[in-house]
Amino acid sequence: MEAFPEKGISMSRFLKALVLSAGVLFLSDAASAQGALRVMLNADIRGTDPGVNTDLNTSTVALHVMEGLVAYREDGSVGPMLAEKVDLSADGLTYTFTLRDGVAFHNGAKLDSAIVTAAWKRYMDPATQWRCVNEFDGRGVSKIVEIAAPDPRTVVFRIEKASAMFLGQMARLECGSSAIYHMDSVGADGKWASPIGTGPYKLGDWRRGQYIELERFAGYASRGGARDGLTGGKMAYADKVRFVIIPDGAAAKAALFSGSLDIRPDLSAADFDETRQRSDVKIESGPTLELNGVLFQTTDPLLSDVRIRRAISLTIDREALVETLANGLVKSVSSPIPLSSPYSGKVQQEPLAFNIAEAKKLLAEAGYKGQPIKMLTTKRYNALYNGAVFIQSMAKAAGINIEIEVLEWATLLDQYLKGTYQSMFFSYAARLDAALSFQMLTGPKASQPNKVWDNPEAVALINQALVASDPKIRQALFDDLHKRFIADLPMIPLWNTPDIAAFRSNVIGYKSWPAAMPRIWGVKLN
Amino acid sequence: MYGYVARRLAMTLPTLLLVSVAVFGLVRLIPGDPVQLMFGDLGTLEQMAVARAALGLDEGLPTQFWRWLSSAATGDFGASITNGEAVLPLIWSRFQVSASVVLVAVTIASAIGVAVGTIAAWRQNSGVDLTIVALTTLILSIPTFWLGLMLLLLFGVKLGWLPVIGYVSVAEDPLQAVAFLVLPIATLALHESGVITRMARASAIDVLRLEYIAHARAKGLSEARVLIRHVLPNAFAPTWTLVGLIMGNLLGGIAVTETVFSLPGLGRLMVDAVFGRDYPVVQGCLLFTAFLYVIVNLMIDLLYPLFDPRVGAE
Repeated sequence: MEAFPEKGISMSRFLKALVLSAGVLFLSDAASAQGALRVMLNADIRGTDPGVNTDLNTSTVALHVMEGLVAYREDGSVGPMLAEKVDLSADGLTYTFTLRDGVAFHNGAKLDSAIVTAAWKRYMDPATQWRCVNEFDGRGVSKIVEIAAPDPRTVVFRIEKASAMFLGQMARLECGSSAIYHMDSVGADGKWASPIGTGPYKLGDWRRGQYIELERFAGYASRGGARDGLTGGKMAYADKVRFVIIPDGAAAKAALFSGSLDIRPDLSAADFDETRQRSDVKIESGPTLELNGVLFQTTDPLLSDVRIRRAISLTIDREALVETLANGLVKSVSSPIPLSSPYSGKVQQEPLAFNIAEAKKLLAEAGYKGQPIKMLTTKRYNALYNGAVFIQSMAKAAGINIEIEVLEWATLLDQYLKGTYQSMFFSYAARLDAALSFQMLTGPKASQPNKVWDNPEAVALINQALVASDPKIRQALFDDLHKRFIADLPMIPLWNTPDIAAFRSNVIGYKSWPAAMPRIWGVKLN
Repeated sequence: MYGYVARRLAMTLPTLLLVSVAVFGLVRLIPGDPVQLMFGDLGTLEQMAVARAALGLDEGLPTQFWRWLSSAATGDFGASITNGEAVLPLIWSRFQVSASVVLVAVTIASAIGVAVGTIAAWRQNSGVDLTIVALTTLILSIPTFWLGLMLLLLFGVKLGWLPVIGYVSVAEDPLQAVAFLVLPIATLALHESGVITRMARASAIDVLRLEYIAHARAKGLSEARVLIRHVLPNAFAPTWTLVGLIMGNLLGGIAVTETVFSLPGLGRLMVDAVFGRDYPVVQGCLLFTAFLYVIVNLMIDLLYPLFDPRVGAE
């Protein structure tokens, strides 16, 4: 190494001193951030107005700050959150919410029925651009005809027609959980300013493109009991939670391994094995409600023949595929209804056959002569690309010629929404009710080209399931729907994405759950 | 001089207009739109239609273009579809991050590149020269994202000397900013020093072959004086042009480096905007980049006579 003779310091010592001095600076930063639990987000949030301009990251942050009258439980059912209880009238048209006592907003105001009705009035105003307004104004599953506040602790919703989905729609994450916020969240100009909710954390500092920091809300009134989905007891242990935006997976891995990050909620399958081998990092996983599978365009001249669709399904060794692509963390599925749903019963869990000889027989009957079948996929999500490659390889065993075309995610989504594909490896976001799991697939292609299953009888059954509240009746409807779905096979369901979170070994209390969104209440640093 | 600057600046207007037309058209030719991405597979077609109307995306393209252009002419580049932030302040805040990395990195790369390139030329075909050429070839063949990740793993994960993620602005805390910027600057500086070294070496070799260098040596000048007084100034001018091009290119966005080091810079903003089909941000970023490129190169041209008096500014 070259030396600086006049100073008597070697180049290596100089460099080390330079880097160490920078390191000391970093350590001082780390010290200043003590108490903040650092959780990764792969992109910035879109806003804070609940259910207006939202995505998964936005909902993740929002659910720590704001709460709705009801919320999803761990098992996908809906339970009260800000409501102490919910009573349904005998005719199914009146929901009476009794509000919890002692709930405070971040500005110190107490929760009462006037605040609830004011928030809902804003939701139902088209100018708010709440994305779920159509679900409650008669265009969707229900129509609210009146929201009344007979006393400070009671809110009454009257709807036009009975609907089993009313509370479920209210709790939907993409609707911002219909969170109740104080009207001071809205500026004098009527524009959304900043969220003043009732959640265990309040919004601290939002540095665009860098991080969102939440601060523990000292006045939070927990429901008590165990953590249960987005309801139940919520204990905010960390003084601060910092959602750090790290767009690159490799950088996120480095940050977790170096201790610069405490929780990485969506560990990729590619990083799973390496992460699992580390002693300073723990892994928590569980099945989600997201559905991966192959979509067929049933109006396509070739794939309109159900025998060819069935033949492709018969070539898939589902257990091997899912074992490889999902790291053995989940089982394969045969139904749009997720395995964790209470409606995933014996009928839904009957495995689809793997039989190459039968596939060849069906293909011969259908007159298939090796015509190419184009399968669209994306590399945005590794599982979708790898899944398509697996299917292509397995189908080849029966002489099926699948050609893969890789598209950027937005382009793939565009093709999906327009129905302009022959086949596609796709992933559906979580639907927290079995009826919605079928509804996402079913409808008339003429008016809804994104639907894969154009079956009017199925639509009628789904509409019954959306209204019915008796679990036995609903189960019978879902069994019937499943059998029809497998007979038509417009899609091959393969697996529900596992939620894999990796976190430093000093993080205590982190749990994954089917909605695949990090919940930081009940979590602390040791 | 002032007339020349005014003419060059005036020439940017048609360039920017052409860029804006091209960008507006091309961005909309890409399949998919911001509303589809906002709703994913969860929205109904009706919900999406309402959202498109609210954003003015249901209007004809000429109407949308004219509305955007007339607002842009008044300095209003609209608001991000993704998060509602005004585009111009958003670009400016992100540009400051990119600029702080790029300016320091290119300065360091220039200092290293010119010095090392000149030494290589001075010792052409010697062991020193071959080593420098081999090293620069190696540096140039390493992708910046890989180099960045390796530095990140070494200094951030293995040694734990430097932060792996995060950013603090120089204005907020200069000392902490250094810790966060060391690795991205080192990544860029290493890569760009390879380019500049090769250019400086080639220029210096050309100059070293000229008669006035032989004359200077014949006069008995020391090698150091020959290099510093006669070779370096004459060989630097072409390198300076390259530095300008590199600067213009990098200031427009160092998306890969910013993504690896989680820096909230202009490049990452642009890439995110393209993936999110955030039309106003993409248009604003590209227009800003084009303007920047023109300005940087104008400044390079104006400074050229300082290094090569034979060249006039006009």
